[in-house]
Amino acid sequence: MTAVTDQDQDHTEDTEHTDHGGRAERAGHVKGTEGVEGTEAAEGPECAEGVEGAGDSGPAPAEDVVSEAVPEAVPEVVSEAVSEEGASEGGDPWDADTDGRAAEEKPVGDTVPEEPARVEKAANGRHARVRGDSEGAWDDGLIARRVTEETAAQPVVLETRASAPQTVAPLAYDGPLRSRLDALRELVGLSRTRLDSRTLAEAGRVLDEAVARRRLSGQHTVVAIAGATGSGKSQLFNTLAGVTISETGVRRPTTAAPIVCSWSDGAATLIDRLGVPGRLRRRPVQSAQSEAQLRGLVLVDLPDHDSAAVQHREQVDRILALVDAVIWVVDPEKYADAVLHERYLRPMAGHAEIMFVVLNQIDRLPGEAAEQVLDDLRRLLDEDGIALGEYGEPGATVLALSALTGDGIGELREALGQFVAERGAPARRIAADVDAAAWRLRPVYATGRRTGLSEEARDEFAARLAEAVGATAAGEAAERAWLRNAGRACGTPWLRLWRWYEDRREPATGRVLLRTQADEEATARQRVEQAVRTLAERASTGLPAPWAQAVREAAVRGSQGLPEALDELAVRAGLPPGRPPRPGWWPVAVLAQASMTILQVVGGLWLLGQIIGFMAPNLGVPVLLMVAGIVGGPLVEWSCRIAARGPARRYGTEAERRLREAAAGCGRARVLDPVAAELLRYREVREQYGRVVGAGV
Amino acid sequence: MVTLDVRPQLLDALSALRDRVAAARFPLPLAGAPRARANRDELLAQLDDYLVPRLRQPEAPLLAVVGGSTGAGKSTLVNSLVGRRVSEAGVLRPTTRTPVLVCHPEDHHWFSGMRVLPDLTRVWVPQQESDDELLLPGENPARVLRIETADTLPPGLALLDAPDIDSLVADNRVLAAELICAADIWVMVTTAARYADAVPWHLLRTAKEYRATLVTVLDRVPHQVVSEVSRQYGALLTKAGLGDVPRFTVPELPESAWGGGLLPATAVASLRTWLVQQAQDPAARQHSLARTAYGVLDSLKSRMPELAGAAAAQYAAALRLTSAVDSAYDSEYARLRGRLQAGAVLAGDALKRWRAFPLDCTASELLDALVESLGALLLCAVTAADERVDDAWRREPAADAPELSGRDPSLESAEHRIGMAVRRWRRELEEFAEEEIRDLDRSVAPDPEMIAALVATALLGGRRARPAGEGLAERIGAHGALRLRDRGGRLLADHLDRVMHTERERRLAPLDALEVHPEPQAELIAALSVLQKER
Repeated sequence: MTAVTDQDQDHTEDTEHTDHGGRAERAGHVKGTEGVEGTEAAEGPECAEGVEGAGDSGPAPAEDVVSEAVPEAVPEVVSEAVSEEGASEGGDPWDADTDGRAAEEKPVGDTVPEEPARVEKAANGRHARVRGDSEGAWDDGLIARRVTEETAAQPVVLETRASAPQTVAPLAYDGPLRSRLDALRELVGLSRTRLDSRTLAEAGRVLDEAVARRRLSGQHTVVAIAGATGSGKSQLFNTLAGVTISETGVRRPTTAAPIVCSWSDGAATLIDRLGVPGRLRRRPVQSAQSEAQLRGLVLVDLPDHDSAAVQHREQVDRILALVDAVIWVVDPEKYADAVLHERYLRPMAGHAEIMFVVLNQIDRLPGEAAEQVLDDLRRLLDEDGIALGEYGEPGATVLALSALTGDGIGELREALGQFVAERGAPARRIAADVDAAAWRLRPVYATGRRTGLSEEARDEFAARLAEAVGATAAGEAAERAWLRNAGRACGTPWLRLWRWYEDRREPATGRVLLRTQADEEATARQRVEQAVRTLAERASTGLPAPWAQAVREAAVRGSQGLPEALDELAVRAGLPPGRPPRPGWWPVAVLAQASMTILQVVGGLWLLGQIIGFMAPNLGVPVLLMVAGIVGGPLVEWSCRIAARGPARRYGTEAERRLREAAAGCGRARVLDPVAAELLRYREVREQYGRVVGAGV
Repeated sequence: MVTLDVRPQLLDALSALRDRVAAARFPLPLAGAPRARANRDELLAQLDDYLVPRLRQPEAPLLAVVGGSTGAGKSTLVNSLVGRRVSEAGVLRPTTRTPVLVCHPEDHHWFSGMRVLPDLTRVWVPQQESDDELLLPGENPARVLRIETADTLPPGLALLDAPDIDSLVADNRVLAAELICAADIWVMVTTAARYADAVPWHLLRTAKEYRATLVTVLDRVPHQVVSEVSRQYGALLTKAGLGDVPRFTVPELPESAWGGGLLPATAVASLRTWLVQQAQDPAARQHSLARTAYGVLDSLKSRMPELAGAAAAQYAAALRLTSAVDSAYDSEYARLRGRLQAGAVLAGDALKRWRAFPLDCTASELLDALVESLGALLLCAVTAADERVDDAWRREPAADAPELSGRDPSLESAEHRIGMAVRRWRRELEEFAEEEIRDLDRSVAPDPEMIAALVATALLGGRRARPAGEGLAERIGAHGALRLRDRGGRLLADHLDRVMHTERERRLAPLDALEVHPEPQAELIAALSVLQKER
């Protein structure tokens, strides 16, 4: 694209401001088309002239300006100055313009250099004149100058509706962002059953917007100009566009509806997305230089966000969510307003990279005050948590300028040009949106505490279940019973005789009766309940509320029927089936005990035989036999008891272990596994969330 | 023509009302609570700073508070009215952080004492010095009031340069609201760039609601557009029903540009004349005093019921929370009794012990197991009740109060308390058993521990422990057994009652500590009706 070379001329800017933006927008013209329709294009300016003439005040052609401005004029710049009224009365500009467009990308150079000259002539130099006037008359550094703009004629260029289908290259996100978006989509999918839709709405919106934005042009960057009423948004908008597109004035609030101005074709669908009607779409003034610099820029002038008109605020909120970047315009009077900082800047702190903060109206500040105010503004932004793009770091660009005098506009233009040329803003905006959505979802996905079910908690749960079925007591009872039986088996017959007699004399307290009766509800319900509750509590500590709730529910669901299962199990696994196992030495012990008894009997009989004279008197041996039997019997019994302790304990422990393991297995299957599955699901989601955040969290 | 005649009864009623308002608390985070708190503070400020002192001393000088947006030029305006720089003006926003009161030297005593604005510390500073140096450590810079005297002001009029109402500094906004509440005359300053801002309009509407004596100043108007801006502003005011408010326009002059200095006297002459006239013409003075004072008195009629309504909502929410606790504990208590009847204690460990008793299990082991099982049952009931309470409270916005939502760490101590209670029950049961045996005239006295274990089993074991009762009767006779069971049962019921009651109280304690009562509502309304009668 050919640039206007005489940039050093003051008035060049002004000519650029003139309203000949009529590179017919309707032709969403693509690169590479040569300007072959030169002849048709010639019709454009004529029409424009006519319209201009039909317009309100006679434009004074600023010929000197024009001549300077177009040494290598661009033939395809076919302007069509149509004031808004002109559009309706001055013939039918659209008809004339149908083909009044030409290749815009390629510098066609010298093919038809005269045409643009006429165009420039037709341009309303009025703007330039007014400006010149204002500079002469109001050089007192007051805002008074601003208001003169209003009296100026406001020829504007309406953007024609795009008729041809757009073949713009859609936006492409880079790898990390794409994977983050995928992760977010998956995360939302995984969480649908756990979280209510309100919590996920924001993430869903971000995803939708990301998809919607990706389908649209990647060549364009939509930048909104936002700010308080009276800060000079429209003024800045006009200055950037080089033409009075947006009405400025002293009536507050001035702008009621967003106005769009796009620097190159193919942005129609993008603008459709903003919901801006066709009558509010404009083209900037035609100038190769600004065109080259701001190619791909779509500028949106927003209404204010702080006036008493609430619908303005709603408009601002709606569009801010859709644009790729924002220029915040503040002025020395309002830069510290709470509504700006608390309602907009702080929540958007993560979007610093796609933010320009512009201190307008520095012409109202004397001398160094501008620098002071700018520093104070920087401080406030810093307090808002907005990273400032200083020293080459990524962050918001902060500039001071005066849209009125043009101070600092060049810098903004440059920064904006660079920003737009990078074409990174849409992706960065989406990335910042994902960040913000992820941050907002943080409480439902991450708590920063350790989660999971510790081995300890599992063991404790098993121990509590064992207690509920009475494993310890059962083991002890089995051990004692075994020991008792062993003692009885190895005891001396006389002792057994006495015990039998005792039993006969005093019947046991219902024991015999109860043995036959099957216990119902043998498991302690309250202990099971408590065990499940404690486990759920342990498992859900450190989990965000919805997931903790899910874990609790899983535990409770699993615990239904658990006591009954344990009841059944206690019956089955209570004691080892069959007779209690006996140790190998048992027969020997019984034999020894029997032989002791036999010794006693033999000794006794021998003695008896001697007493009745049946045998030869020999006291020694029979007495010895008897004493050996009498002493040996209890001795055997005692040593048996000592020896039986080990097997008895083994038997008891075995009984306890069986019960314990059966209970633990039952608990694991019914409660622990569902809980662990739920925890696993959370962990999966958590990892997904980490992927969304973009770093290992 | 309204006049300001004040009877002492009215003052009494007013201070009673003030105390009621000061006593109102809104601790539960309901939807309307922050608003109610703000309203209460505002009302209190208005009563303390303005209404009561004004009614006590109608002869005190008129206080005109200059308020408005940041950067509207309030300080410049005050300086210009006074004729010298009394308040710092500058380009950095917000400029004024310390309010400055300017009055005639003769009026100094009215403001040096704590008659009005008793919350603010007075400082008298030579203006060159920065305020910060004179502040005592720990003193909030926003909570001081600088008093300046100037001969150029007429006696009977004081000007107060308030901080902004809309800047980032939240303290400023609070203080400004408080100061504006203290004003006899509200001077609202706005600018050509600001006159449509939402925040100042909110303030204007408030002024209208309170029927305060209001005057607006449209500052910083470029002189080319004076008439247009002023007309539009007038139209907006008329639309808002404030068309009759005196409106002054101050043009933007080079002097006013960002702290440059004072505006020429002509620029503010009309405003000054109006203020002086209000202060010195007795009729006008009386009129503006009475208008603002009665405006506030009248506004009480709608604001007090609003506060009372908020208090009632608080009480209702507290009641809902309490009843959630009560119903949870009641139902758990019922369930607990049912399970006791069914013999749920004699299960698990205890049941195994009982099966092994007396052959393979001693009496004390059986008692231990029973007591432990009983403790587990109680703990289960208490935690279940707590869980129900948590569930119910999760649906109540009021339960989000930090005092309530903190997870009580006392569950371990609940376990401890329950353990103590059941062990105590066991000890007392053993004592009963011993007493019973002592009276017994039998040759072989049964073991008291065995008797205690049998009683406990019979009490806790429900149907399946019938053999225990039989065994007991066999050992100590039917009468003795019956008596022992009765006493033991009563004891058990007592202990259960006590445990559940203690735990319920523990749960309710934080709620009780918030002290949300039904009285404030009635008291507020009563105070208002007394006041209405006295007027």
